[in-house]
Amino acid sequence: MSKVLLAALPVSLRFGLAILVLLLICIQALSTGSIPIAVSALFGLTELDEMQSTVLWQLRFPRLLLALLAGSGLALCGALLQNASRNPLADPYLFGIVSGAALGATISTIVLPEWQLLTPLFAFFGALLAVFLVLVIGASSRWQRLESLLLCGVAVSFMLSAITTTLLYLSEPFAANRVMFWLMGSLSQASLTHVALISPLVFITLLLGLLYRRQLDALVLNDESARSLGVHVQPLRLVILLLCAAVSAAIVACCGGIAFVGLMIPHLVRSLFGLSSVALLLGSVWLGAVFLASVDTLSRSLLPDQELPIGVVTSAIGSLFFLSMLFKYRRG
Amino acid sequence: MGHNPVVEFQQVQLQINQQQILAGLNFTIQPGQFVALLGPNGAGKTSLLRLLQKEYQPSSGQILLQGKAIQTFTQSELAAKVALVSQLSGPLFDLTVADVVLMGLIPHKALWQTNTEQDLQQLKHSLELVGLANKERYSFAHLSGGEQQRVLLARAVMQQPVLLLLDEPTNHLDLYYQHQVLRIAKALNITVIASIHDLNLASRYCDRLLLLNQGQVVADGNAQQVLTQDLLTQVFRIPCLIDQNPFGNCPRVSFGYKDDL
Repeated sequence: MSKVLLAALPVSLRFGLAILVLLLICIQALSTGSIPIAVSALFGLTELDEMQSTVLWQLRFPRLLLALLAGSGLALCGALLQNASRNPLADPYLFGIVSGAALGATISTIVLPEWQLLTPLFAFFGALLAVFLVLVIGASSRWQRLESLLLCGVAVSFMLSAITTTLLYLSEPFAANRVMFWLMGSLSQASLTHVALISPLVFITLLLGLLYRRQLDALVLNDESARSLGVHVQPLRLVILLLCAAVSAAIVACCGGIAFVGLMIPHLVRSLFGLSSVALLLGSVWLGAVFLASVDTLSRSLLPDQELPIGVVTSAIGSLFFLSMLFKYRRG
Repeated sequence: MGHNPVVEFQQVQLQINQQQILAGLNFTIQPGQFVALLGPNGAGKTSLLRLLQKEYQPSSGQILLQGKAIQTFTQSELAAKVALVSQLSGPLFDLTVADVVLMGLIPHKALWQTNTEQDLQQLKHSLELVGLANKERYSFAHLSGGEQQRVLLARAVMQQPVLLLLDEPTNHLDLYYQHQVLRIAKALNITVIASIHDLNLASRYCDRLLLLNQGQVVADGNAQQVLTQDLLTQVFRIPCLIDQNPFGNCPRVSFGYKDDL
């Protein structure tokens, strides 16, 4: 029904509506928090005091940008991986990326504490290591079959988690607290450096996704049919996987493991905007950004004087979403 | 001077894992011919189609497409000349009919090129040819099997090929759609090679029948020449009778089982 209503709107109006919603979410995110900022001040109509100005420009603004980018990036990767693998449960985190990032962060925290500043870098390379392992192990069992790749991802994920847990078990008692950030997800350490790291990756991935829109559509039917249209199926799939790995690894390195966004948003977008690659990719980028910025605002304002880890909130919403889908399918 | 053949097989052999799949294939296919590949399971019909898509390489001999060795075509060049309609197991994610048909433009469009007004006219025309006019916005996954096959035929038309390969296009379709799909394919007036199990459909709609058995062409000709009682009994290993199809002025085959004759 919602799709029919949306389809009835002219494209320009749909874009306008999307931008309006995004703008409202941004205003809400920037004005909400332990130090409230009036909406009029955001538009320069009233003055900000020094504290508000610091909070706005050094904390909330980079945090909002990071939320928008991370949400877009995760949803974009989910959409690409689901279409490329024809598997509605494909998700960037199924390739062991979070476990890899956690292992990288653990190593830098425990084994090389003097290298603490480089922890996000370690998390990034940990995530890439996980994807590399998945590809290498998957290659021996014909990684062209995406199902075996996903199984490899689960196996690598458990293996890396076991190493992380062992390192934490053998280390000093407070080390685990420092690594929890990567496991639960948080935007609290957002900075413009993070934004600068993630944005080119998300932009390039989106651009390539849009350029290869017809090829991605062709992959949805079947491999043989896509090949007969001149699509280089395996190279395209490998490029998608590597790009998604890089985007997700960068996001995990900056924000920790934010679950369910990559899995849930493309499903919502398909039911709202339709299923061709252009609608799916642009819709996922938009809804991912709107979703994560809203959830971050929620996680900052749910408890007084305390912030919930964003990964906890997305997981809670995600599980409810999938339960509602289950009931919907049962009702037929 | 006659037309150059669209396809030419020159002493083509195919071995996979030291097993002989196709042997000594030597034939040419002229423009506009509707050719049926017939034969029991394992005869090599699908392998032959895969050779024409470069999914397999011949172990020896060569295949010419419009006079040029097929190995020299890139995947995109080949896609601009050879279209395939095969069986689809219901797509998991839905697309509109227009999305599927417009995929036919992939071999002809650079990545950054958008669809032109002419492309959209061609889309309409392709859908009209397969009897699905004004169904661009319909959901592909919710169409019947016959309609899905027709959408794939429209996609093949959009691809503007010189050769259309149909890989068991009538499987899982009811009788009405079996006839409809082949009628539409014939009316497209392009060269078609179709792997078909139903001999009577082949007899009715195809100009030329290639009967394969154990990787070799055992008969090549029109329906009257190929659909003979002795040959079919030998190839399919069950008794058969041939009479005249009252609808199509073509041979009609009836099969029995071992002790029926």
